[in-house]
Amino acid sequence: MDMLHIRGLHKRFGDKEVLKGLNLSVPEHSVFGFIGKNGAGKTTTMKAVLGLLRTDDGEIMVGGEKVVYGQTSSNRFIGYLPDVPEFYPFMTAPEYLRFCGEITGGKRSENEKRSKELLELVGLGDETHRIRGFSRGMKQRLGIAQALLNRPRLLICDEPTSALDPVGRKEILDILLAVREQTTVLFSTHILSDVERICTDVAFLNDGVVSIQGKLSDVKSIYRSDEYLLEVERKEDIQGLMRAFRFMRQRADYVLAFHEKDHALFDVLRYVTEGRVSLSKLERVEPTLESLFMEVVEK
Amino acid sequence: MKSLLAFMKKEWMEQLRSGRLVLLGILFALFGIMNPAIAKLTPWLLERMADTLEGSGLALTGISVSALDSWMQFFKNIPMALTIFLLLESRIFTREYQSGTLVLALTKGLERYKVVISKTLLLVLLWSAGYGLCFGITYGYNAYFWGNAAAQNLLHALLCWWLFGVWTIALTALFSAGAQSNTGVLAGTGSVVLASYLIGMFPGAKEYMPTLLMDGNSLIYGSSDVQAYTLAMIITAVLCMLCFAASIPIFNKKQL
Repeated sequence: MDMLHIRGLHKRFGDKEVLKGLNLSVPEHSVFGFIGKNGAGKTTTMKAVLGLLRTDDGEIMVGGEKVVYGQTSSNRFIGYLPDVPEFYPFMTAPEYLRFCGEITGGKRSENEKRSKELLELVGLGDETHRIRGFSRGMKQRLGIAQALLNRPRLLICDEPTSALDPVGRKEILDILLAVREQTTVLFSTHILSDVERICTDVAFLNDGVVSIQGKLSDVKSIYRSDEYLLEVERKEDIQGLMRAFRFMRQRADYVLAFHEKDHALFDVLRYVTEGRVSLSKLERVEPTLESLFMEVVEK
Repeated sequence: MKSLLAFMKKEWMEQLRSGRLVLLGILFALFGIMNPAIAKLTPWLLERMADTLEGSGLALTGISVSALDSWMQFFKNIPMALTIFLLLESRIFTREYQSGTLVLALTKGLERYKVVISKTLLLVLLWSAGYGLCFGITYGYNAYFWGNAAAQNLLHALLCWWLFGVWTIALTALFSAGAQSNTGVLAGTGSVVLASYLIGMFPGAKEYMPTLLMDGNSLIYGSSDVQAYTLAMIITAVLCMLCFAASIPIFNKKQL
């Protein structure tokens, strides 16, 4: 079953069309990486899912319930961590979680227990200061704690690691990994190594639509082994190769890239042998998310 | 209900910990003390100036002050107190829009109307308490120095002014639901009050305007009778409810 299902989502800000019919399905119990450039519309999509943003067209279902702008009933399934979470600075972390617990309802004793547990999980168990003095990493961790408080079925994190240093990033990713047992995680990012580390599923958002979506392993295998990198020793050979194989693209001064589907490897090798092109390297590219991403973005 | 109480508790904590509560307490207490103090000091001040005044041809004889002078000061000064109160509290909504702190509470399933109710109710409570404090102090001093018997329709005059304050709070809530910044809130509230005042200058219009309620002095001196204020009171009360009722759907559609 899909925890989140988006169909034909459109959103326009003034004359800029940010989402142009976005479709997305997030399966239950996945860690879903939502990837896109800055300004691709990731935050817009997430805010629409939370009912915080009026959309122009399309339908969003969370846990089988339709999301209505301004109404927040579908949010009871969701835990949300915004890109820069803002808390009431005059409260302490336990006070803030108590406040959240009281808003969500539920038993007081249960909430207290859960808060304590979560503060331990995110490493704020001993923190007694007010939130005013928190660092960004601490706020991000408190953000995760508050998002998980009501045991959401869907945890939405908007670029949870973008503003953090490597240590802070690792901490957040470890926490996300730890909670995937309990919930479905949807997180947006442009840091691809984070996705490779923890995601089971991915979707690439580009130019207002999702261009690739699926299990991370499937997505990678579809794009596997098709691309080669060719590094030559003399710069002038680049021109010759590009003339002979018109889909070859230059990656660096001495490096060309091509896909097997465009040019058979043996044809290229024949050209290399016959033209006595000296190679310094011929490499079959293991697709990284980065190459996929670049491909999607350049398309 | 539980979430409404939780949000109100948070509002209260914010007032307390940001120091605004203490500030408001001091403000209203100072205004409360100032009214009788000015009345009490007037004869003394005029005596000090008597020589200068005589030089310009004015002769002073037997100046006497009463509780009425102090109450006159009260109704002259309370607009200033209300203005400072509104300036201090005008960001109660917009602060949250700008910092984004509401987003998390709302995505946790807090209904939007509860935000409007909590904040408006808190403002009314703070205004009532501050106003009550200011009044109580003035009343106490007046009773001690002169006795309050001279002031006619005192309670009615007080009620009128309190209601006027509630109206400005309802306007603040209404404009806060619509505007993004507190400049918009203050400009909106200010313009409506000013418009009411200006319209009230036309003959025949004054008795319908909420700004009539500010004229407490006519009541305590007995130059107007209580009935003259009834219509304005009813209109103001209805306007308060309308503002409040309108602010909820406006806030519901607000993009945060």
